[in-house]
Amino acid sequence: MHDTTIRKKILVCCGTGCLANNSYSIYERFVEKLKDNPNITVETSIKATGCNGLCEKGPVVKIQPDDISYFKVSIEDVDEIIEKTIINGQIINRLLYLDTNQKKRIVNHMDASFYKHQHKIALRNIGEIDPLCIEDYIERDGYKALHKILFEMSPEEVIDEVEKSGLRGRGGAGFPTGVKWRTCASFNNFPKYVICNGDEGDPGAFMDRSIMEGDPNTIIEGMIICGYAIKSNKGFLYIRDEYELALKNMQAAIDNARSHGYLGKNILGSGFDFDLEIVRGGGAFVCGESSALMASIEGNVGEPRAKYIRSVEKGLWDQPTVLNNVETWANIPPIILNGANWFKEIGTDTNAGTKVFSLVGKVKNTGLVEIPMGTKLSELVFDIGGGIINNRPFKAVQTGGPSGGCIPKEHMDVPLDFDSLSKMGSMMGSGGVIVMDDTTCMVEIARYYMDFLSEESCGKCTTCREGIKLMLNILTNITEGKGELEDIDVLESLGNTIIKASLCALGKTAPNPVLTTIRYFRDEYIDHIVNKKCPAGVCKNLTTYFIDEETCIGCGICRKKCPVDAISGSLKEVHVIDEGICIKCGNCFTACPKDAVKIGGAAYAY
Amino acid sequence: MLIKIDGKTYKGHPGETLMEVARRNGINIPSLCYKKGFEGLGRCRLCLVEVSEGKRSKIVSACVYPIKEGIEVTTITDEIIKMRKDIILLLLLRAPDNEYIQQLVKEYEVKAPERYIQNDNDDCILCGLCVKACEKLGTKAISLVNRGITKKVSTPYDDPSKDCIGCGACAETCPTNAIKLEESNGIRTIWNRDFDLVKCSICGKYYTTLDALKFIEDKLASNEEHICDTCKKKSTASKFKESFQHIY
Ligand SMILES: Cc1cc2nc3c(=O)[nH]c(=O)nc-3n(C[C@H](O)[C@H](O)[C@H](O)COP(=O)(O)O)c2cc1C
Ligand code: SF4
Repeated sequence: MHDTTIRKKILVCCGTGCLANNSYSIYERFVEKLKDNPNITVETSIKATGCNGLCEKGPVVKIQPDDISYFKVSIEDVDEIIEKTIINGQIINRLLYLDTNQKKRIVNHMDASFYKHQHKIALRNIGEIDPLCIEDYIERDGYKALHKILFEMSPEEVIDEVEKSGLRGRGGAGFPTGVKWRTCASFNNFPKYVICNGDEGDPGAFMDRSIMEGDPNTIIEGMIICGYAIKSNKGFLYIRDEYELALKNMQAAIDNARSHGYLGKNILGSGFDFDLEIVRGGGAFVCGESSALMASIEGNVGEPRAKYIRSVEKGLWDQPTVLNNVETWANIPPIILNGANWFKEIGTDTNAGTKVFSLVGKVKNTGLVEIPMGTKLSELVFDIGGGIINNRPFKAVQTGGPSGGCIPKEHMDVPLDFDSLSKMGSMMGSGGVIVMDDTTCMVEIARYYMDFLSEESCGKCTTCREGIKLMLNILTNITEGKGELEDIDVLESLGNTIIKASLCALGKTAPNPVLTTIRYFRDEYIDHIVNKKCPAGVCKNLTTYFIDEETCIGCGICRKKCPVDAISGSLKEVHVIDEGICIKCGNCFTACPKDAVKIGGAAYAY
Repeated sequence: MLIKIDGKTYKGHPGETLMEVARRNGINIPSLCYKKGFEGLGRCRLCLVEVSEGKRSKIVSACVYPIKEGIEVTTITDEIIKMRKDIILLLLLRAPDNEYIQQLVKEYEVKAPERYIQNDNDDCILCGLCVKACEKLGTKAISLVNRGITKKVSTPYDDPSKDCIGCGACAETCPTNAIKLEESNGIRTIWNRDFDLVKCSICGKYYTTLDALKFIEDKLASNEEHICDTCKKKSTASKFKESFQHIY
């Protein structure tokens, strides 16, 4: 019989990343194998959870209370895990996390460098609960904050608490949430609306998706609390259409919350009514902008409007509206429950709490990371991220999404908070962090983002639409070797006009990638324009590869890596690249163990 | 409500935009997407001015900025001229051959570097006035579609529109004369569709389309004589004169 004194919980990550790697079959296999298994004497429960953040090492399976975490689990491993770990309490070394910083395998993933520095508030439940199971959420203090405000706090007290906590909006602009609520509450114009911004248009960012998938109830609870505070009875969740799992889990959670009395009429007998509805977003980047988002909910074209009258006064259908980001909402219940002072202790004076970053690019550990505001960028990249892949030289970090900026390695000590990042000419944005090594061309990066924005601007203002287009043309010219020095001045001068003259924050930030790369990597622009050389070997028109005779040891590695057989040479002899055949893929450059492959400028420049 | 524009005090009503106050008082703030009687669109960005409230000042676009008591507005500063020049440069690169843009280019002494000129000229500067005009009529035959650099004004899927009545209100409001309206042999062609023209019963000139007449008649539930605007004005003027002749 089952020994009910010992309970083992098996948590199988079923976030989008792990699902793509078949984690649901793993979950089903566990369910099937554990059902009526006569060898198992302990009580087991299996949970399909939200994303653990380390997607590239998934599928992730955690076993509690032993605190054992297995990574890259496959369906074939299930029997072994049951046999060895569940029944016999043994650890399977092969499946443990390999920590490249500590150079060892780690039993409890919380001890891994990637997780050790993290402080989870917004992501507190993700990976720990089954998002479809409201009881799981309740077991971890869910809906306690709602009880507290409904029966112990006045709407003003709720606003005071949020304002005192110093919480600033996590959607990008960092506007103080309490102030937003207070202003909205001050208008005596009803109905009022509460909106959750789940558009997450920033490519590469997936924290909002993770929260919606992995802990939908925290968003619901946060929104009800706001509804109570500003006297609104209706909320909308604007979620992008591609987010299938998020849409499914959010809808299930809303239905479940309603049947448990947390949503609908007379919530928990308090007399307060509030309900939620999901609106699917079309997936345009600009629809994440508040006024475009509201236009889109109203069924109009997703174009921003001038915000001289703000949406807290005239928002959705011209009624007072509070719009907050998914991550902002996830912070509300813990703030109410633990108090403003608890929250203020975390982070820095003007940037309280934590921020979730999605760490991607040329860094060893990629994934979602929640850390206190003000953590240094270097700590994120090296301590948590484990440094650069293949230990190549670190060059820069791009933060803030498509209209963020690039921060060079000289400024790696910059604290990650709203104000410090803005001072660098970059921004927080939604928290995307893209790490770049020496094989990244900064001019090409700027060009890439202008290309993205030229399609994603709504196209309403001349400055944004035509300005980005002109910047894109100039940058394309430079990467093709047709640039002139005056182009740099034009880019800077035009960039400033676009920032000042555009209508919404998309246009007002769009030049950031260009202006920051000019500010920190001007030499690289000059190399492209004057020396007709792309030092990173990215712009094909401006790159040649050659092998330094002095350094080459004739190992032949580059010859084997070349996809077009452009390299010749016998073993232990100096190798040569045939310029006529070379397609400039750069394989030899990264493969050479002696760094003997060098990057030269355009062939015609010699 | 009193506001100051370039040092002088003017009266405005709550809810009015800065552009409305300026135009009413004959103050010139350049714009391509503003038209009296239409709500401000904020698209062309030429109407940028500086607004100070106490110590703080900011750049706003006059056509969508609702006035506030006590603001001080400056319509020309070095910064504003620089921005307008850049905006005109961008319009010039979009519509290099357009005579209306050329006028602005002359006025603001803008020069486009030869290298930046591309061969994708488009007289339409996406001010959106035509779409608004059509919307106001209640026809809604054209709209702004797509986003970013592919944005354009068009009928649904670029097909001849069922809703279009060929009235030409769009072409009439266009500040750059970008909408093609052709007439020959009693047929008007606009937005890829042909319309039968109707003659004025007084002067005999073609003056509108059959569809437009029908649309208005249905809307007003009336059956007026088919008289063109010019003749209508003339006839009211003569009626006016007649009635005055009786007085004196
Ligand atoms: C172009 C653009 C895209 C945006 N996309 C998002 C988004 O995807 N998600 C989001 O929460 N905020 C986005 N924002 C910010 C919103 O406009 C708004 O400031 C935010 O949702 C407010 O919530 P918060 O105060 O909780 O951050 C975007 C802003 C701009 C200008
Ligand atoms: S700044 Fe760009 S995205 Fe914003 S309204 Fe203008 S054109 Fe649209």
